[in-house]
Amino acid sequence: MTEIQPLVEMRGVHKNYGTLQVLSGIDLEMWPGDRLVVIGPSGGGKSTLLRIMMGLEDIRRGEIDLLGKRYITGHEQSGKTRIDSTLRKQVGMVFQHYTLFPHLTIISNLTLAAIKTRGMPKPAALDKGMQLLKRLGLESKAQSYPSQLSGGQKQRVAIARALMLDPRLMLFDEVTSALDPELVAEVEAVMLELAEQQMPMMLVTHDMWFAKNIASRVIFCAGGVVVEDGPPEQVLGDPVNPRTREFIERVFHIKT
Amino acid sequence: MEYEFQFHYILQAWPVLMEGLKVTVQLTVIANIIALTLGFVIALLVLSKYWLLRAPFALMIELFRCTPVLVQILWFFYCVPILFGIYLAPLPMGILALGINLACFNAEAYRAAIQAVPREQLDAGVALGFSPLQRVRYVVFPHAFRAALPVLITNGITLFQQSALVAIVALSDLMYMGRQVATQSYRPIETYTAVALIYFAISFPVSRVAAWVEQRLDAARA
Repeated sequence: MTEIQPLVEMRGVHKNYGTLQVLSGIDLEMWPGDRLVVIGPSGGGKSTLLRIMMGLEDIRRGEIDLLGKRYITGHEQSGKTRIDSTLRKQVGMVFQHYTLFPHLTIISNLTLAAIKTRGMPKPAALDKGMQLLKRLGLESKAQSYPSQLSGGQKQRVAIARALMLDPRLMLFDEVTSALDPELVAEVEAVMLELAEQQMPMMLVTHDMWFAKNIASRVIFCAGGVVVEDGPPEQVLGDPVNPRTREFIERVFHIKT
Repeated sequence: MEYEFQFHYILQAWPVLMEGLKVTVQLTVIANIIALTLGFVIALLVLSKYWLLRAPFALMIELFRCTPVLVQILWFFYCVPILFGIYLAPLPMGILALGINLACFNAEAYRAAIQAVPREQLDAGVALGFSPLQRVRYVVFPHAFRAALPVLITNGITLFQQSALVAIVALSDLMYMGRQVATQSYRPIETYTAVALIYFAISFPVSRVAAWVEQRLDAARA
């Protein structure tokens, strides 16, 4: 019998910006198929956690394994962080602000990294890009530039661009926060579709309704540590920890 | 003033002036090509996190920006051969002097533009797996080039006008030819007027292009 290995394993991850301690010892395991929603007060290190996972931030201490291999190590003495850039290619990320390349057409936005960083032949990349656009109903926009698209369309293209590279883990950092309210649903629909296909994902969102819908697991981060970790019904509905309870009550109170 | 303009001298001298214009355009175009590329490289070096890379190029920029172009041209023609043993024909030497001067001005334009590249664009570059060099090639350069373009064009036209200074080292550009025609024909007023108009006829449309590009970029940003 083969043991299922965790997709991600974080041990004692510490992060600080100068004297500001952002993460003080995060231990976290993610399993294949997990859809992990990270909630918590602002400044609690949610986005930092995702950025570290993407290899965008140094860490002071701790280590992260991905797919059973060492991905990131923080060396406190030397102050250096080792990041395995081959493993990093297994992770995809979508950001809050549309980060499409403004000087490239939509289809080129999709194919550039596939061709240049994954060595995919151009015709194959174009083919795959068009298929993804078709799935999102954006095939007519292939030759448009990002400035000609709505925010929701841009964010869907950004998701497609990450999917082009066949990531084993997707990170979504407040991807709907900058959108007009009427455009949020189309982006969330794409993410829900990915969830149905068992794409492992880690996401930060302020939309608790959406969190409840998409999460297989919710963690509450505050003060640089994971305060509560469990299924969405528990963490969002009936939290054990008083800090989580207070946060949830405040958030849902504002919402109703 | 009782001066009788006699423009038929200009018609006679026209082919000579055009010869000069050819040299001026050559000088400007090649110096611009050098400066557009070299300027970007200098800007990257100036933004390096290593002090040893930064310092010499920061100094170079200031030296070229804070001394008269005329002095730089003379310095290149007289000092470079002696100090560095580099002997070039007058035209390549002129191109080198103007090209490096312009590269320093362009480097400043690029530097500001590079610093204005949105942080998330760079993050996206990392997330997509681009190597540092690929990020410069596919993310930083396109952004910086577009943002800096109006200034780059303006710098380019300024150089076109300043290139007249190479006449002093007997490079047969438009200005030099104009001076020859003026002295030989005893018609300085007509000749220099014609020379000025030729410079204007080229500079003005290009400066309109710069204005148009700037407008378009503003529109795209909005």
